[in-house]
Amino acid sequence: MMIRPYLYTLLFLFLTVVFSIAIGSVFIPPADLGRILIGWLNKAAFSEPLKTFSFIITDIRLPRTALVLLTGAALGGSGAAYQGLFRNPLADPYLIGVASGAGLGAVLAMSIKWPYSFWGLMAVPAAAFIGALLTVVLVYSLARIGKTIPTTNLILAGVAFGSFATALTTYLMLRSTGELHRAITWLNGGSSQAGWGPVLTVLPYLAIGLGLLLLSGHALNLLQFGDEQAQQMGLPVTRARTLILLAASLATAAAVSFSGIIGFIGLIVPHVMRLWFGADYRRLLPLSLISGAGALLLADIIARTVMAPQELPVGIVTALVGVPFFLWVLRRAKNQGYW
Amino acid sequence: MFRNLLFALLIVTLLVACGPAGISTPTAVSTEPPASAEPSAPPITLTDGLDRTVTLAGPAQRVVSLAASNTEILYAIGAGAQVLGRDETSDFPAEALSLPTVGGYSGFNLEAIVALHPDLVLAGGINTPELVASLEQLGLTVYFLPNPATLEEMYINLETVARLTGHESETAALVESLKARVAAVDDKISPLSYRPTVFYEMDATEPTKPYTAGPGTFVDLLIARAGGLNIGAELQGQWAQISLEQLVVANPAIIILGDAAYGETPEKVVQRTGWLTLAAIQAGQVFPIDDNLVSRPGPRLVDGLEAMAKLLHPGVFK
Repeated sequence: MMIRPYLYTLLFLFLTVVFSIAIGSVFIPPADLGRILIGWLNKAAFSEPLKTFSFIITDIRLPRTALVLLTGAALGGSGAAYQGLFRNPLADPYLIGVASGAGLGAVLAMSIKWPYSFWGLMAVPAAAFIGALLTVVLVYSLARIGKTIPTTNLILAGVAFGSFATALTTYLMLRSTGELHRAITWLNGGSSQAGWGPVLTVLPYLAIGLGLLLLSGHALNLLQFGDEQAQQMGLPVTRARTLILLAASLATAAAVSFSGIIGFIGLIVPHVMRLWFGADYRRLLPLSLISGAGALLLADIIARTVMAPQELPVGIVTALVGVPFFLWVLRRAKNQGYW
Repeated sequence: MFRNLLFALLIVTLLVACGPAGISTPTAVSTEPPASAEPSAPPITLTDGLDRTVTLAGPAQRVVSLAASNTEILYAIGAGAQVLGRDETSDFPAEALSLPTVGGYSGFNLEAIVALHPDLVLAGGINTPELVASLEQLGLTVYFLPNPATLEEMYINLETVARLTGHESETAALVESLKARVAAVDDKISPLSYRPTVFYEMDATEPTKPYTAGPGTFVDLLIARAGGLNIGAELQGQWAQISLEQLVVANPAIIILGDAAYGETPEKVVQRTGWLTLAAIQAGQVFPIDDNLVSRPGPRLVDGLEAMAKLLHPGVFK
């Protein structure tokens, strides 16, 4: 097993985590950072201004870093899985309508005034999550013919239903009485709730979804040969595809429910990993997971420092920064027919 | 297969390890002791617009405002010196512009708010409950001031903020003067029998389908109070769209340009195709207005009422 790809990507992830904790709109001098770290090890009590800095790090930056990390991992991993499943370089986690379903659920929930309680605040993310999953189930049942799910049908049904959901969402936004700004901010991506609550809420779904995906590397490799070939090589094709689809959608739905729609990570990160480290899915999936986390963290750092104290929506940064980088990588790719 | 399982377990463990293990329990950020006017002020307990119980040890001395209307209220009641930070949309009064900003258009910067060490964060109807929850979780005291539906509710909001910041007596005087001004407008309007129909233009980037203020908005309220009939009151939604055909049929007597701040002028309106048939344009009854006076739920609504009344009944209001 080659070590170097994992080394590089883990190093990248580690660096972005460190920067995400060290950098923010409030400038914490590196010397103070060092003192805070030493203070934590000694369990010392802090005085101002170290106390505020320490509070900012533990209560604002760390939970946010964790949430962004998990979201990026989910998007990167499920992006790679979707690309392998559909054998299509344009596939991303939102291909079969997860994003539109989540957006519809969220905007529907925003039009109701929920009581200010734990469940009231969970309403929008929960509705987004349910919307995303319902969309996948609906598209899956629409596309199924007998026991098989032809890829083309899946994509067509996904795109069609996605457009329908997006149109419905836009209509709801136009009729909204004041929730328009909130809906637009949500749809553009970015963490809306702070603290460890969102992290702990999405963690079980991501663990299940991404865990299943990581075990499906071999299955995805076989699927690249086509359904019949894979079947002949002993893979239970329909079962494997359903499982991978559901696992990837679960992870994406959980990621989207708190972070909104963040594009390009699920599309570009797996491609870059494929260009650099090859198309073996047993390796591609974990690498996409790790570098997806790092890439989204990097985008988040840029989003909150470039125009401090104002914050850019993360989805805009991923497109503006990710696309030129991807085009550069594409131009430099030595193996031209890599797909 | 076993290798995959091992790897999956490793990833999952890494992810779980990123959790709260080893993180110190969040403590509220310490603030400087509030310098209250009375030596032994009783704690202030109020229920805010989200049905939350908010308790302050004494009048707040370090306030961060998250809405333009809140900033205006704070300065109007004399609490301007106690305001530490504002949101980006707060542009009135001019003294507020020198305050540091903490976000506004696309989200709020939690770090910046925490770093200011406020003892009260004043949120408004324009802020989301998620923001209030996030700030509350960071140990800050947040008061959510709901949007008033009537002028009386606006006075109550002024009195609430006065209680929170310790300016009750000045605010009582302010509310009395505001009520007197509104009563003066009412007295001049009530004997009049003529109520001009008004089209309040909120946005006309597409001149064939402009947007106007629908029922339930402050604009609608003020137009009615200023002795006019809002055409938008029959439409649906607060940000109501009307087609040019409907507008021609309704034929308003007066057109008020609420989007004057975005460059719309009476001269430009005349040049719009199809608008020349409107009686208001031919009579030259197209006027700009400062939108902030009629849409921000603060004491300047009374200024907006007077401005509106002057436009609708120029003979009575000099």
